[in-house]
Amino acid sequence: MFSRLDGYIGPMLAGASVTLVICIGAILLGFIAGIALYSLRNTGARGAVALADVYLGFFRGTPLLVQLLMLFYIPIALGVEINPYVAAVIALGLNSGAYQSEILRAGFQSLPKGQVEAADSVGIPRGKTLWHIQIPQVLRLTVPQLVSEAADIIKASAIVSVVTVTDLLRVGRQIVASNYRPLEVFITVAVVYLILISIVQLFGRYLEARWRTKS
Amino acid sequence: MNFDSIIGMMPAFGRGALYTIGISTSSIVLGALLGFFIHAAYRKFPRQLKAAYAAYVWVIRGTPFLAQLFIVYYGLPAIGITPSAMQAAVATLAIYGSAYFAEIFRASWNSIPKGHAEAAIACGISPLATFMKIEMPQAVRYAIPLLVNQSIVLIKESSLASIITVPELTLTAGKIVAETYSFVEPYLLLALTYWALTYLTSILGRRIEKSFSR
Repeated sequence: MFSRLDGYIGPMLAGASVTLVICIGAILLGFIAGIALYSLRNTGARGAVALADVYLGFFRGTPLLVQLLMLFYIPIALGVEINPYVAAVIALGLNSGAYQSEILRAGFQSLPKGQVEAADSVGIPRGKTLWHIQIPQVLRLTVPQLVSEAADIIKASAIVSVVTVTDLLRVGRQIVASNYRPLEVFITVAVVYLILISIVQLFGRYLEARWRTKS
Repeated sequence: MNFDSIIGMMPAFGRGALYTIGISTSSIVLGALLGFFIHAAYRKFPRQLKAAYAAYVWVIRGTPFLAQLFIVYYGLPAIGITPSAMQAAVATLAIYGSAYFAEIFRASWNSIPKGHAEAAIACGISPLATFMKIEMPQAVRYAIPLLVNQSIVLIKESSLASIITVPELTLTAGKIVAETYSFVEPYLLLALTYWALTYLTSILGRRIEKSFSR
């Protein structure tokens, strides 16, 4: 049944690497957005907190597909052509930022308050305290959840195919258009996603085990 | 921003919202039932079904919903099963949800301390009463916030039904965009409608949670 798929391994691998590159970009952008959101809320200023709340409400309360369509089509309406790959990374990344900020917040909250006070008292600027003192510890504490978020991003990324990004799922659709074997092709695509996601999850479990024994 | 055009879109959006609510509600109910029975079967025959249960959860949760939807809608006709777009959307969303629901039921059940049942038996309380009055209420209280969360996930995932041409909210907005060439108003209204749906669901969830915690 699957024998006639041999010739499609190349395009599928190309699609899988597009999926991976987009997801890596998205998780990095999401991390920065997550830190920014945490910092916004942490200022305690009413406007900043409200802004963070609107961001969280929008990105967690609406479908990712809607966010992607808005990000892709609204700039076009305003006369700005946006590259679909860039739109995909931004939509996935900003969406992930909302979830990563929740993960990171738990990490920040478990750090002793005295650290920031100590850093302040020896004259370390707040930005340096954040990046050199707090974030390394937060990363270590939250890495299992962040990796599981990365696996979720790979899964969610399948929708970028609707804005003409040639990711794994879109490659599958192209193959179906030429060989008319949708069942085999889409099952194969799903298996490739399953492998990618499982590898990421196993990596997360490995990191968790290793970092736990170290600390 | 053109408010007259937003008012003009309302009837179409209303129809789309009914589809979205219909797909979400039926797949949440079907998915929860399916998840309940999958978990119950696993509890009844843990040794025989352990591998099958783990494989089911792994495969369903480890693949994108959109890929599953394509297998059902475009793939199944190859073996003689031709679901309509609506049937494919509800069935796939229910199956997708069932793996998460089964895991929620499993975690809820595991959250009950074993000592409770042992203590109840030691006091001579019947197994049925132990289950209904002691174990079940604890499991339900644990499960509700997780069930509500999963329901919100399914409401959001139902937007992907637009890709296989189910005329729900997202497709409705896309059609209006294609007809009117205005992008901003339809998409803003679309986001707002979804936000209202998920927000109302979370409020409803909190109500239910409160009524059980008393």
